[in-house]
Amino acid sequence: MGPRSGHVRFVSVAFALTAALALATRIAAASPEDIFGYGGRSSAMGATGAAAGEGYETAYLNPALLSTMRARKLSLGLTGATFHLNAEGEGLPGRVSYGAAKGLVIGADLPIPFGGILKDRVGAGLAFYTPTDVVVRGRILYPETAQFPLLPDRAQSVAIRVGLGVDVGYGLRVGAGFAALAEIQGSAIVATDATGRVGTRVEDQLVATYAPTIGVAYDIPVRFPTKLRAGVTYRGTLDARFAVQIDATKLSTLNIPLLNISGLAQYDPAQLAFEVASIGDRITLAGGVTFKRWSKYPGLLEPTIQCPAENPDCAALLPPKIAYDDALAVHAGADWALPVSSSFTPHVRAGAMLEPNPLPSRIPTAQAYDPRTQGLADVKARYFNATRIALTWGAGLRFADPFPPLELDVYGQLHVLAPTSHESVDSSGAVTPLGKASGHVLAAGAVLGVRF
Amino acid sequence: MNRNVVLGAFFASYACTLHASANPLDAFGLGSRAAGMGSAVAADTSGFDANYYNPAGLARARGLEISIGYFRASQYLKTNGHDNDVDPVKGLVGGLVAPGTLLGVPFAFGLAIHLPDDRISRVRALRQEVPRWEMYDNRNQRLFLAANLAVSPVKWLQLGGGFSFMSSTEGKLDIGGFLNIFRAEDSQLRHQVDADLTAVRYPQLGARVELSEAVALAVVYRGEFKLKLDLSAYLHGDISHLTTAIYALDTHSVNNFLPQQLVVAGSWKLSDDLHTNLDVTWVNWGAYVPPVASLNVGLDIPPPAGGWPNGITPPTAPAPAKIEALKMNDRVVPHVGVEWRALARPTWEGFARAGYEYAKSPIGAQTGVTNYIDRDRHSMSLGLGLRALAPIAELPGDVRLDAHAQLSELVTATTRKADPADLVGDFTAGGHIWNVGATLTVGFP
Repeated sequence: MGPRSGHVRFVSVAFALTAALALATRIAAASPEDIFGYGGRSSAMGATGAAAGEGYETAYLNPALLSTMRARKLSLGLTGATFHLNAEGEGLPGRVSYGAAKGLVIGADLPIPFGGILKDRVGAGLAFYTPTDVVVRGRILYPETAQFPLLPDRAQSVAIRVGLGVDVGYGLRVGAGFAALAEIQGSAIVATDATGRVGTRVEDQLVATYAPTIGVAYDIPVRFPTKLRAGVTYRGTLDARFAVQIDATKLSTLNIPLLNISGLAQYDPAQLAFEVASIGDRITLAGGVTFKRWSKYPGLLEPTIQCPAENPDCAALLPPKIAYDDALAVHAGADWALPVSSSFTPHVRAGAMLEPNPLPSRIPTAQAYDPRTQGLADVKARYFNATRIALTWGAGLRFADPFPPLELDVYGQLHVLAPTSHESVDSSGAVTPLGKASGHVLAAGAVLGVRF
Repeated sequence: MNRNVVLGAFFASYACTLHASANPLDAFGLGSRAAGMGSAVAADTSGFDANYYNPAGLARARGLEISIGYFRASQYLKTNGHDNDVDPVKGLVGGLVAPGTLLGVPFAFGLAIHLPDDRISRVRALRQEVPRWEMYDNRNQRLFLAANLAVSPVKWLQLGGGFSFMSSTEGKLDIGGFLNIFRAEDSQLRHQVDADLTAVRYPQLGARVELSEAVALAVVYRGEFKLKLDLSAYLHGDISHLTTAIYALDTHSVNNFLPQQLVVAGSWKLSDDLHTNLDVTWVNWGAYVPPVASLNVGLDIPPPAGGWPNGITPPTAPAPAKIEALKMNDRVVPHVGVEWRALARPTWEGFARAGYEYAKSPIGAQTGVTNYIDRDRHSMSLGLGLRALAPIAELPGDVRLDAHAQLSELVTATTRKADPADLVGDFTAGGHIWNVGATLTVGFP
């Protein structure tokens, strides 16, 4: 077999591997990494990585780059974030209280030691994030409760990501993977039996949801002092619903409807990231944009009573319908290596990101039953969010023989919410002030990796 | 009423519901090599299945291994001659072992998963009187996900440990608004939910000692876990402008209880081509918590000024149910297995395997109001394996394909009730389970 036919065969194998992985998986994702980035290095570099990512982090950032790994590595880290969010205005609490998000990062770099034409071309990565307290938090509050639905609770979700990357040759790398999350489906039946006893049967099940991650990276063949690489990553929609049916229709002769206790506990929009990086021996610079399709976000709430097919226009309440806007986030980051010796290299990192606010400035009111008037009343949907501007920083230490084969990455992030005024639009079209959102988020983490 | 009809009706309603879970690997094994050997591999494992059987075995791996497989356990369980339609247990299995050295010491990281076809897990709380195959419905359809580390500080000793992961559910629900009891769908209700899936992690630890080239011993500990389901609901509103109502419900249950286990195991290499294994597992069933929901209900519906309309009788608050204790006994479960390398060629090898295990039912006699059905189980298994050595240049290690078939016989026996007026009455139960599957492993040097 000549070199050309071998290469054609290899390209076919590579595409077959990545296509098989992409097809074998279905859809999913998780949220903390969408807010803060993932891992100790990317999080310090403005959540960049579609072109400049390294190691297990690229299972999220761009699985094509998993093919650049050459050593097995296991990483373990701790991350945390605190939220200082304010909603100010008439009837608003000012500070909106949210608990801190704390979690554990587990990553594995697994270059696959194929032989022949696949030698040093295939890598797999595992990237886990698990909050210390919960796997998924589903808070679906009444709309009149002041809340930031797109920020704190989205950070309380497990992330399980697996990816495979292949170096196709000619500077081209392709990769695919998936993220997995769990959603709840269940039922609770309350009934009175023939003997007059009331009993319940409660069931709930966790069902896996999956989202694809597909990436391409290309080393641009131009004369330049450093390697120039472009990366594109597509991440599919994550939606973890909470759906429980409560059936009390046989509790008594009271005509009680079936109750649909449902909502969207977690959501990441489909997104497409593009990045260009200059990768040098000492300095890596990266910048890019991520398009996030928030316009497909269906909102947190679902109707408590679903109209039957024979009465589709029943009087059951509908949640407010909010038209979210697509967003284009901007990321930039830098990594500066300062080699002290062949066995010890510190790194200094910094970055920034801009995350536009997908929540529109005018928010429609919701309807609720008012016991005083014994009729429906408009209530303001007190949803708040704001454009986030984040500064990130961090450091890394790389040790080699004769030191233990360790890698330590630390990072910090400050997200500032640009003060944003929201207005409320009632069912008659009247516009009234809702309030002003502001605040900041602090995040930090440390990840220790060991090569083996 | 004919008791068979009552029992049949119970099971009919039961079969219409979805079935729940706990540990499928205890019953059906992880991977075809182990399942074909009666799950007697704690002292003789080095692949991805070590993540369940003995994490210490991971340190014996000589190269990166990636495995994927599938199994299906079809359950033919009957009461009074009627099949109870107990769901099959089926799904993917897979995992990896990534060995290396750390500071000159052999070290390995492992990961294993069993992902059921239909769900990650299910929790169900039934009334305690409802008959159910306690060990085979609610216990065996759940995710298994484990991550482990292992080291071999000296050549004759391997140590390993890690965690398995699951989640419990906690939720608070508030429903309020207007309830239209004349046209229910025109009710104007809304809800809010504050629900968490909380992380559950339970440990596994293992050690393996090579006494000689032919003999190895192992000890493994697996921790206990409980999947909880805690829900509370608060309903409040206006009932068709007649009156107001407050209904508060609080339910707690423990489902998918996995008892702690201790395994003592040995492996004897009788010749270069033949070895046999024995595992003895102590299972702490005595700590079992029955999956019955405790229920507290508060109800306040003042009668309307003019009385209730004709035909309407409001619900009344139920008295709290007394939960009967479920007596379970600790058990010792023996497993034996044998593996024979029947064919050895320069480029491939063939293996034949067999195994047996006996699991005496831990559930006490169901002579009272509860109906947790279980029977003693004898499991016989056979397996075949094919190993290709460096089949192509791209795969310089080996490729292994293993398959297994296991037949579990649940000895038919009759349960007699102490109360001749018991609603369910005496019943005869038994059956069998067919478990088949295959696993493909790619090993790298």
